[in-house]
Amino acid sequence: MTDDTGALGALLLADARLPTGGHAHSATLEGATAAGLTADRVGEYVRARLATTARTEAAAAVLALRAAGAAPAGAPIDYGPVQAAVAARTPSRPLREASAGLGRGLARLARRIAPDAPAVAALDTAAAATPGLRPLRPVVLGALGAVLGLTEGQTARAVLYDDAQTVTAAALKLHPGDPLTAVRWVLDAAPDIEESVRRATAVRGPRDLPAGSAPLIDAWAGAHAHATRRLFVA
Amino acid sequence: MPETTTAPSTAPDAAPTARRTLRLGVAGPVGTGKSSLIATLCRELSGELAMAVVTNDIYTDEDARFLRSAGVLDAERIRAVETGACPHTAIRDDITANLDAVEDLEAEFAPLDLVLVESGGDNLTATFSPALIDAQIFCLDVAGGGDVARKGGPGIGRADVLVVNKADLAPYVGVDVERMVADASAARDGRPVLAVARTDAASVARLCDWVRGVLTAHRSGAHVPQDPGPMAPHGHGPGAGHGHGHGHAS
Ligand SMILES: Nc1nc2c(ncn2[C@@H]2O[C@H](COP(=O)(O)OP(=O)(O)O)[C@@H](O)[C@H]2O)c(=O)[nH]1
Ligand SMILES: [Mg+2]
Repeated sequence: MTDDTGALGALLLADARLPTGGHAHSATLEGATAAGLTADRVGEYVRARLATTARTEAAAAVLALRAAGAAPAGAPIDYGPVQAAVAARTPSRPLREASAGLGRGLARLARRIAPDAPAVAALDTAAAATPGLRPLRPVVLGALGAVLGLTEGQTARAVLYDDAQTVTAAALKLHPGDPLTAVRWVLDAAPDIEESVRRATAVRGPRDLPAGSAPLIDAWAGAHAHATRRLFVA
Repeated sequence: MPETTTAPSTAPDAAPTARRTLRLGVAGPVGTGKSSLIATLCRELSGELAMAVVTNDIYTDEDARFLRSAGVLDAERIRAVETGACPHTAIRDDITANLDAVEDLEAEFAPLDLVLVESGGDNLTATFSPALIDAQIFCLDVAGGGDVARKGGPGIGRADVLVVNKADLAPYVGVDVERMVADASAARDGRPVLAVARTDAASVARLCDWVRGVLTAHRSGAHVPQDPGPMAPHGHGPGAGHGHGHGHAS
């Protein structure tokens, strides 16, 4: 691994072409659509997530990044507290499993690009904190951020941007519409993304992690898990 | 370009050379008989081989349901993955969901001999990445027309075996199976082509023998996963695809 990968790493982690399984996810837009959410409200859906669940994930990724970097030389990295905190703030089982699935894909990438990095080896500490649950997406993303040299702001923004783009990309499969309009939705959400970046990077520790849950999204994700016709995992 | 063009043997998360399980992909257009072929292989081989199946449906888990209801394999050994409406991506550009399912089955039912992965096929261009599977069957059927084999594409040209399926229907659709097999063989530089009908025991036996042969070669290390490539025919001339298997569009 060379140095100076931070800026590029931020782009890589935000790139839908990253082969870590994201293309099969809709950020619950498919469940929302089944429950009646219409195309004209997708932008609002993006912003609702940015203020709630995505903000929690962004803050968790920042905490994982810090956990990877803050351990004094030689001291073991422990992702357990942030893993437990984000799991506790993800009340929907299908969404915890979706996050663990995305984390698994990211962890495969992390092990491939930096198998010996302490930040990667320590991912086992996350799984140990929540038996039966693999390292969750924001935890692994924070670990990857550490490996690639991302700043806290870049890490948080990667999580938030990816969340927004997961919705808009899924919208193109689920709703009629112009792909260029979907770009507009993301740009329109810039203030929401930046506000959540500020909040996420201001988080002090796992106990302080915002519990930005969205009960309707949880309910839609629960129903989606039992749907027999679906394009997306969650 | 995928990072790995042959087996990812240096990957800490995969050690194909040491893996006893053969991962076999089944690709080809919708309706050519992939699910049926998998059901046939399960019925014929599950007595001698420990098997599991992953399906890639696009809108439903219909294929997994069909296979479970066929009763040819324990239902828990058949998994469906969602592909986000991108069945090509899921077997080639981002194989995460399939690799997860294959690894889970291999871990839960260890030791497995054979995992079959059915693509959610919708045309002639989709082939599996060798990072996901060790070998692949490409499936056409006679009902699609005798000229399909001449239309080419990576699966027809360079899959490990080409199956010309539903040979029993040939008289009803005006196709000369021998001619179709000969055309396909010519397009494939001699790689194997099998005419199969599920009702023709001899043809099914030939297919099973082919699978056993690949499994043996895989275990001995003689079989190197080949990438049929995503694009139009290979530019290096006959035989080049055997040596390096990168299948790029040159
Ligand atoms: N006559 C005949 N029909 C077949 C054969 N194999 C499959 N079929 C039929 O072809 C149709 C499509 O098969 P299926 O396995 O679902 O195709 P897939 O979409 O490629 O998985 C079904 O109606 C099968 O019963 C065969 O060998 N002979
Ligand atoms: Mg099928």
